[in-house]
This record gives sequence, structure tokens and C-alpha cells, in this order.
Amino acid sequence: MEQMDRTQPKDSPRVPVGTMGDGGTTYSGVNPNAVWLNSRGIWLSYVIAVTILHLILLSIPFLNVAQAWTLTNVVHNIGNYIFLHMLKGTPWETNWDQGKSRLLTHWEQIDFGEQFTTTRKFLLLAPVILFILASFYTKYDPLHFVVNLSTMLLVLIPKLPQLHGVRIFGINKY
Amino acid sequence: MVGGGKNTLSGSAPTANGHVKESNGFIPHSNGHVPHYKDDKIKKMSQESFEPVPLLVACLTYLGYGMLVLFGYFRDFLRKSGVETTHSTIERKKMRDFVPLYQSFESFYTRNLYTRIRDCWNRPICSVPSAEFDVSERVSNDGNWHLRLTGKSRRCVNLGSYNYLGFAEKSGPCADAAAGALQQYGAGVCSTRQELGNYSIHEELEQTTARFLRVEDAVTFGMGFATNSMNIPALMGGKGCLILSDELNHASLVLGARLCSTVIKVFKHNDIEDVERKLREAIINGQPRTHRAWRKILIIVEGIYSMEGSIIKLPDFIRLKKKYGAYLYLDEAHSIGALGETGRGATEYWGVDPRDVDIMMGTFTKSFGAAGGYIGGSKRLINHLRAYSHSTTYACSMSAPVAQQVITSMKIIMGEDGTNRGQLRIKQLAANSKYFRQRLVEMGFIVYGNDDSPIVPVLLYMPAKIAAFSRELYQQNVGVVVVGFPATPLVESRARFCLSAAHTREMLDKVLDAISDVGDRLQLKYSLNPPTKGVFAEECYRQVDCLSHEA
Repeated sequence: MEQMDRTQPKDSPRVPVGTMGDGGTTYSGVNPNAVWLNSRGIWLSYVIAVTILHLILLSIPFLNVAQAWTLTNVVHNIGNYIFLHMLKGTPWETNWDQGKSRLLTHWEQIDFGEQFTTTRKFLLLAPVILFILASFYTKYDPLHFVVNLSTMLLVLIPKLPQLHGVRIFGINKY
Repeated sequence: MVGGGKNTLSGSAPTANGHVKESNGFIPHSNGHVPHYKDDKIKKMSQESFEPVPLLVACLTYLGYGMLVLFGYFRDFLRKSGVETTHSTIERKKMRDFVPLYQSFESFYTRNLYTRIRDCWNRPICSVPSAEFDVSERVSNDGNWHLRLTGKSRRCVNLGSYNYLGFAEKSGPCADAAAGALQQYGAGVCSTRQELGNYSIHEELEQTTARFLRVEDAVTFGMGFATNSMNIPALMGGKGCLILSDELNHASLVLGARLCSTVIKVFKHNDIEDVERKLREAIINGQPRTHRAWRKILIIVEGIYSMEGSIIKLPDFIRLKKKYGAYLYLDEAHSIGALGETGRGATEYWGVDPRDVDIMMGTFTKSFGAAGGYIGGSKRLINHLRAYSHSTTYACSMSAPVAQQVITSMKIIMGEDGTNRGQLRIKQLAANSKYFRQRLVEMGFIVYGNDDSPIVPVLLYMPAKIAAFSRELYQQNVGVVVVGFPATPLVESRARFCLSAAHTREMLDKVLDAISDVGDRLQLKYSLNPPTKGVFAEECYRQVDCLSHEA
């Protein structure tokens, strides 16, 4: 069964135009949520944002380095899960697709449902790299390992292509 | 692949291994292309610049949007917990158990980003939108949720109206003629074209339009948007058709394409190789499941794209359409009257035969100071549209004074009124566009688009600067249009200036000083290319004597 509308340009960072004058409701053909993560400089900004988060956590006096790294990993993964896999739909009205994207999480909307694009690979790699760094800096302590691994799995499993559109036990379906 | 030897058909020499690149009889730059234009002129005419965003600016823009989103969530929490009063629509208490009508996440952007800077859009104006206009002032006490008119207005220079040839006037030959038509025909038409709404003035309008466009015949409609959305379905009815549409096509074209039961493929903006690739794939593979041949293929493009200021590469599209047997639909909403030496649009600009474009569509809203749209083409096409268009069947026809405005302004442009006022306007517009754009580039702004287009988008990038730019220029009595996400890509928010023949050089200088001042204060001069001084086309200004136009 055909998954998503594949008639849109794939690597295009540009979206068709409407007017901003009526509160962001445009009649155009493309969901901006599907393409904004391909914009220039967004990956660098993502890395910078995680770095800033880590520096903030490191500067809290009563946390040692291991706890700061684990907290960075956990906060990043929870944020990743909430914004990519929990929130559905778009923060603007989608008049053009008759509400099809209202039931989809942001992850499922990226690149119009096409799998294995570079953006998806980047978003898959980010928690993995953070996990590796966190494991190193916590000196492979068992408790930290369990925490880091579980949050990483929480974030990696929904990104598998087999779980595209799957809602376990009907959680988050509508 | 044809091996070895000279191939006189192709006109290109074989390479070392004998492979001749183009051996299907295609000779570059000859189909649909007037041969006396040399290649360097073509390259010069397609001088378009789309400087990519500097990396630091992009990162700061994302950071800005991130902060806005975080604060948005915080404010939403305050509203939900009752600390802050809610101004947006909420469900009534007794409907709480029903399925909700509104999804509050869908209005997140409107609530938390758009409403904060809402005063930059929908500004009411209280005068005719010519070179200068009166913009009513508004104030708000609750963060733009409720805007109140103060009763005062500001006289601003108008850089937002699509008034390319300056025909938005309340006095002058066009206004007098329109008043005369109002006396003769009345204001309303009260019928459709096919019933009792076909006035003699409509016939005159269509003949004048066909003469202006240099095509066989034309049909006109009362609304520009509806010209696209109601006629593309009439042209592409039935299954088995394919539409190739540019990425940045206007909403009316997208709607018109979607109202047909056709397959729509979108190609990258102005990218000839992408169009050719998609055409070849479509013809080779045929229709999706059955692989039968397509009944017809229509390529829909625009003359000037209003958000980018880019001009279509028309000779290449005509060459492609002739090679592959497709049809070309050219929407000249912004380019008719604005491009070309006598204002005939993109076909005259590139020097191609207007009969090579199958369907020439345009609107009267922009350069003619009226309302409505037209489609020009062969007699067979226009007769078909007169019978089958949704607009001629169901929509009321154009009002008589509006039609008269178009007729009079078209005659002025063509020079049929005996003066050279039309030519002066066209030259003034070209001079204004070149001058304004070059001065902005010299100042260091990032400006998109073609050097010849009267639309000048200046990139602002950051969300707060969209509002700041608009408000600061309003304080300095300049009215501009700003656009942001999601109407543009996330990082490419812009201010779009529309030049007009009614602008004098003094007005433009005053505006440019204000823009430079605001650009310095807001740090908008992002361009990394070194500005070259004094490159603007001063000679265009020497040719223009004085444009006599009324208020």
C-alpha cells in the first residue's frame, strides 16, 4: 500500500509559497514539517544546542562529570522522544492534506515518509553517539549504563522503519 | 549511442570514444529560440543570484525559533493553569466530553509566534495604493490579540503593492474612462458569461488583450485566482493526463492542478535538467499502473515568481516542450506589463514567439491596476474555454468599469492613445528596478532574484527581525511587506519590495536611506560578496525624461 504522497521533491529545502498574513495558514502543497530538518545549518545547530545543554549541566556544582553526561544523554533522549515521537501533527494548520498529517508524529512526517534519508540517519546517529560518549565518561559504571541504554533504546526503537505508523497498545493513536 | 565519425545531424563533434552526445537531431538553442540572440546575451539575461545563508546566521535563526518555541510552551502552560488570560478560542464547558473541534497544537504557531507580531500584516490603508498611500495606525493593549484603530494615519511610500506600471491612480485617463463605463453599464453584471453577462465591453477587452499579447484570441475572467483554478480543470479533464508543476507555483495553480484528476509531478524551481528528467521518465514509463502512454502532458510555470524574484528560462522550456510533445502553460501574473521592451511579458523579454507558448495566462491585477485574469492562445483553445471553463459557466463576469480600466491602460501601454506615456512607464519601471536592486546589493544586503525583475526580496532570516524591519520602516514612513515561515522556508524570511513606475528617484533615494539605516541598526547586511560601487544602470535614467503621472 502506498505510504505517503511521493509526488513532492525530495531534497528540496524550499516550500511553495502562500501568505503569512493569515496566521501561518497557507494553501500550498507541502508540509513544512517534512522538509525543515533539511535546511542549511540545522544539523550544526542541533549539535550546538546539545553542547550548550551539556555545558549548562556541567556547570551545576553538585553534579560530577559522570552524572552530567548521563543527564545530558537522558534529557536529550527524552526531548527527542517527545518532539519526534510523541507530539503528533503540526503546530500550524494543514489545509492541504485533509488532516493526514494530524495522526503522524514528526518522525513519520520527515521527508514525506521516505525511509533512510540523510536526515533520518543523522537523527538516528545522534543518540548513539551521545550514548557512546556518555558510556566513556561514566567509566562504564553499571547503573549509568542501564539508564543510558534504556533511554537510547526508547529513542532508537520508534525510529525503525518497521515501526512506521505503529501504535503499540493504541497509545497515542489519535 | 551513435559511434564514430561526423554526425551532421547533431552538429556536435564526437568525443574520443566515438560517443556523440546529442544525436536525435536536436540542435541547441534553435527550437523556439530567435537565432540573432547570441549566447552571451542569454547568459547575461539569466543573471540570477540566490546567495546561500551564512552558516552563523542560520544557526542563530534556528536558535531564535527554538527560544520562541520554548517560550511558547511556557506561555501555553501559563494560560492553561490560569495565570494568564486566554484570548484564543476554547471549547465551551458543556462540550468538553465531545470530540474536540479545535486541536490546540495546530494553532501553536499562530498563538505564540504569529500573534506577537501580527501588527505587521493586514494593515488597513485608507487611500489609493499608488506610489504613496495612507496607512491607518493601530494600537494594542493585550499583545496584539485585539488591535484598535486610533483614527490617525501615516503617509508612507508604497513598496508593497503590485503597482508595476503605476496605473493605481484615482485620476487620469483610466479613471475617467472607468467612470464613463460605470455610467454606461452600471457597476454589476449579475450574470455569467454564457448567460446574459457577455457585454460588448467584454468583447472589446478580449480583442484588445489578444492584440496586446500577439496571440489569436483571448478570454477574460473576473478574478485572477479563479482564472487558474477554474480553467486548468477545463483543460486537463479526464484520466491519463500529467501535470509537471514548478515547486514554487502559486496557490491558484496548485489548486487548479489538484482539481483535475491528473497525476501531478513537481520539479525543482527553474531547473531544466530536472524537468527533462521527469519528462523522460514519464514518457518512458507511461501511466502509473497500466504503462499506457499519457494522453497529454502539461508543464505549468510562471513568468516571474513573486517570492523569489526569479524569471523563468523560457527558451529552454519551449525547446523541451517541442522535443517531447508537451504543452506549456505560462502564468504571467507578475511579468505581463513588467518585462519586455514594450511590456508584453516573458515572451518579449526572451525574444520567443508568443505562439510557442500554448496557454498564456495572466492577471490584470498587477500591471493594469484592475482585477481579473485572462488566458490567451489559439482560437480553438479559447473557443473550448469559452464553452467549458468553470468560470464562464458559473461565475459572474468582470464588472464593466474594471474592464474599461484594463482596456484604457492596455491602450496606453501599447501606445494606441497617441502618446508615449506607456513606453515612459515601462522604461521608468526598468530603471527603478535596476537602480533599487543595485543600490541594495551595494549596501550589502542579500537580495534574491533576477536583475531585471521588479520584485526585490531582501533576506532577513531571523524571526524577530521580520517584525523589527516592518515596524521600523513604518516609523520612517515606508510601507513594506514581510514574509516568514511557513510561507517561506524556515530560515529564509524576507522583505519583498515591489517597484513601481510611479516611484520617482527621490522617493527611492529616501527609501533606500531609511532601509540602510534600519539595516545598520538591525545588522541585516549579511552579504559576504564584496559590494561593487556605481554599477547600476545610470543610462536607463538618462533615457527617461519626466514621467508625467497624476497623483
